[in-house]
Amino acid sequence: MYETLGFAILNIALVVGLAPLAEGVMRRVRAIVHSRKGPPLIQPYLDLLKLLAKEDLRPSTGLLWRMAPALCLGATLTAALLVPLGPPPPLAFGGDVIVFLYFTALAGVALMLNAFACSNPYAYVGASREMMMILSVEPVMAVALVTAALKAGSLTFPDLIAHHAQSGASVSMVVAGVAVLLALQAHSGKLPFDIAEADQEIMEGPLIERSGPGLALFRLAAWAKFLIFASVLVQVFVPWPRSGFWPVNLAVNFASISVLVLLVGLVNAVNPRLRIDQSMSYFARIVVFVALAGLVFATIGA
Amino acid sequence: MTSQQVIEGMRAKFGAGLRDAQEPVPGTLYLTVDKELIQPACCHLQDDLGGRFLISAGIDRRSGEGCFSVTHIFSRDKDKQFICLRADVPENAAKVASITPWVAAANWSEREFQDMIGVTAEGHPDPRRLVLADDWPDGVYPLRKDFPYDAKPEPVQGAAPQFKEAPEGASTVVIGPFYPVLEEPAQLRLFVDGERVVGCDYRGFYNHRGIEKLGDSVLTYNQIPFIAERICGICGFIHSTCYCETAEQAAGIQAPRRARYIRSIMLEIERIHSHLLWLGIAGHILGFDTVLMQAWRIREPIMWLCEKITGNRKTYGMNLVGGVRRDIPADLHPEILDIIGKIEAESLAVADAIQGDTTLLVRLQGVGMLPTEQAKRLCVVGPTARGSDLDIDARVDHPYSAYDELDTRVITHDGCDNWARVLVRVEEVFESIRLVREGLRRMPDGPIMAEVAEEIPPGRQGLRTIEAPRGEAIHYLMTGENNRPDRWRVRAPTYQNLQALPSMIQGETIADVPITLGSMDPCFSCTERVETVDVRTGQQAILTKDDLFRLSRARSGL
Repeated sequence: MYETLGFAILNIALVVGLAPLAEGVMRRVRAIVHSRKGPPLIQPYLDLLKLLAKEDLRPSTGLLWRMAPALCLGATLTAALLVPLGPPPPLAFGGDVIVFLYFTALAGVALMLNAFACSNPYAYVGASREMMMILSVEPVMAVALVTAALKAGSLTFPDLIAHHAQSGASVSMVVAGVAVLLALQAHSGKLPFDIAEADQEIMEGPLIERSGPGLALFRLAAWAKFLIFASVLVQVFVPWPRSGFWPVNLAVNFASISVLVLLVGLVNAVNPRLRIDQSMSYFARIVVFVALAGLVFATIGA
Repeated sequence: MTSQQVIEGMRAKFGAGLRDAQEPVPGTLYLTVDKELIQPACCHLQDDLGGRFLISAGIDRRSGEGCFSVTHIFSRDKDKQFICLRADVPENAAKVASITPWVAAANWSEREFQDMIGVTAEGHPDPRRLVLADDWPDGVYPLRKDFPYDAKPEPVQGAAPQFKEAPEGASTVVIGPFYPVLEEPAQLRLFVDGERVVGCDYRGFYNHRGIEKLGDSVLTYNQIPFIAERICGICGFIHSTCYCETAEQAAGIQAPRRARYIRSIMLEIERIHSHLLWLGIAGHILGFDTVLMQAWRIREPIMWLCEKITGNRKTYGMNLVGGVRRDIPADLHPEILDIIGKIEAESLAVADAIQGDTTLLVRLQGVGMLPTEQAKRLCVVGPTARGSDLDIDARVDHPYSAYDELDTRVITHDGCDNWARVLVRVEEVFESIRLVREGLRRMPDGPIMAEVAEEIPPGRQGLRTIEAPRGEAIHYLMTGENNRPDRWRVRAPTYQNLQALPSMIQGETIADVPITLGSMDPCFSCTERVETVDVRTGQQAILTKDDLFRLSRARSGL
């Protein structure tokens, strides 16, 4: 039990502690592409600290409004407890893959509820876009994880990883991995898919009325989401090299995640924003098909 | 068709209705018609003679001729003519037939003289207030001579902007009054059905400054260039040049050739800086901050160059009536050419990168359509028009400064969408670079300032257009007593282009509205001419920081 508790604290600490750093590196990549110096790598930490100290302006006294930031971050961190970061995930149980998908979707729903709870038309537009993004992107992740589950014959993250690490690369897993990679940019809310929020068109969208600690929690949740998805991508679809010694796995995981940080950051810096219909079209026509192709391959045993 | 033929045609059609026809300067006709004939005369100019509507001017002539006058100004580009059609309106019956149902482009111009002079345009399809604030009292018309420039009428309580109703089944998305993307005040009301725009309404002029009134009331001929330059923070020099050339035309002053070359070179340099700035803004609107950072980095040497030549990064302060104040000495030429060369190389790289970017193309192509016919009907100008395949450019149609000697290539594209407008501006940067090189090469020696007589005689008129980065800007001047202007009318290009916005965003999604608006490079300041809190009394008073604080606190009580 103490071991589980220890790993739980470790997981949360890693996600909360390193997510802002990943964001900081992405900002630096963006600055380099812009030919500027850019902020220090620890800037996101400073931003969070600053926001936590600021006044929490409330356009609404409703329960939804007050709850939404905690709901979002809470859901994200609960999902973090299910995600293998190198050490075995603290809360592994049968079907935890499905629970993971639900919690990450819940984080997105919390953002939308937050938007509907403040009566700002920009927030409504942002919320509707966020909804459309969730509907486009979640199925990709679900299909890819089901593909892995089909191969491993189990719906538990440790089993998926162990099976894939042992059996080696296969067509279906590679294709599914590519699908998740294509979806990673949208999952992290980075350009060209930062359509829902941080929008010059609708002035921050769902987060427009947020300030202070509430905003800090939402921001941290978004950065944590990237780290969690990157981790799932690396651990489930590229679980090599692997050792029995979990600190080594942890180091390898974060080394691989660093590559993803640079990739996502670079794509973020060299792209304009897509429109919501263009983004949905991209997912519906291309990415979902790739994911389904992976599933088909898995069903035929490839 | 020559000017004589135009006049003869008018006389044949309207007979005694054509009261007067003057041509003080070749190519600029001043025709006066009976009030009742204003609408058929404008239709004749537009439909039969292929005239393009430019602007209207309402003038208070009660002290001179005992009436108001409304002047509609047209251009016949191919024959390089301006035609000013004037109708006198008696004070006790201050109304005139609206021409907007026939000349769609006159929409705002007529609303403006309704607000400012108080002559009603009867039959106007949308006679709401345009320029004056919503809490400005009725019946008070600022551009009338009996209204002092510094009068502050009591605001009307409980006033609100009159907006159109949303059509059936559409909801309203309000963008503004602080417009988020361009960070200027304007209110755009979009009537949307889901994410599609089905209609819109615009309320602007929050920053109206009353610059024309200042020109009419308290400024001298040589003070106006400096205030004209402050009409816009990006394209100020075109306004000061256009004004100076208008005043020179009215007064019969010929600026020396060297001065005109200097003006042209600075105008083209201004165009380069403006287009690069715009490119960055367009990128920023699309979320492509890399384009913003790179375009502005490339542009920075031009700002340093301007500071080296004029002493200022943007508000050059170079123009006076009769010439320019500062020379571009020969030892500066190599440096100018060097900087221009570097900018050309870097701009080529950016242009290549943009043209190859599929995501950018997906966002810009086929979006913000302005078909050629619609562009012509609404008389849009500048890259907005040239992106819809209209071949109009004031440098070629009505050459000014040194453009009669510098051949300008007019760049058009027939895409009629946002992408076409991007291409036009990108190519214009390279054309401007070429013109700067040619201007420097051909610049003659000589004085930079003409000998100007003591006083400019009253009763003279001047009308010039100039090709600003955003399109054609117009200045009209009527000289008055005491060596001061009697009426100074300015029209910036965005004033005309904004009227095409509803047409361009019809059927687009909300996400495409900012970039469509951005694609016409709106310069709200040119259009608005912001109200400055001018506390200068007769004496020269230097305002300290404390003074400014005190004033701002006093003002906030309103």
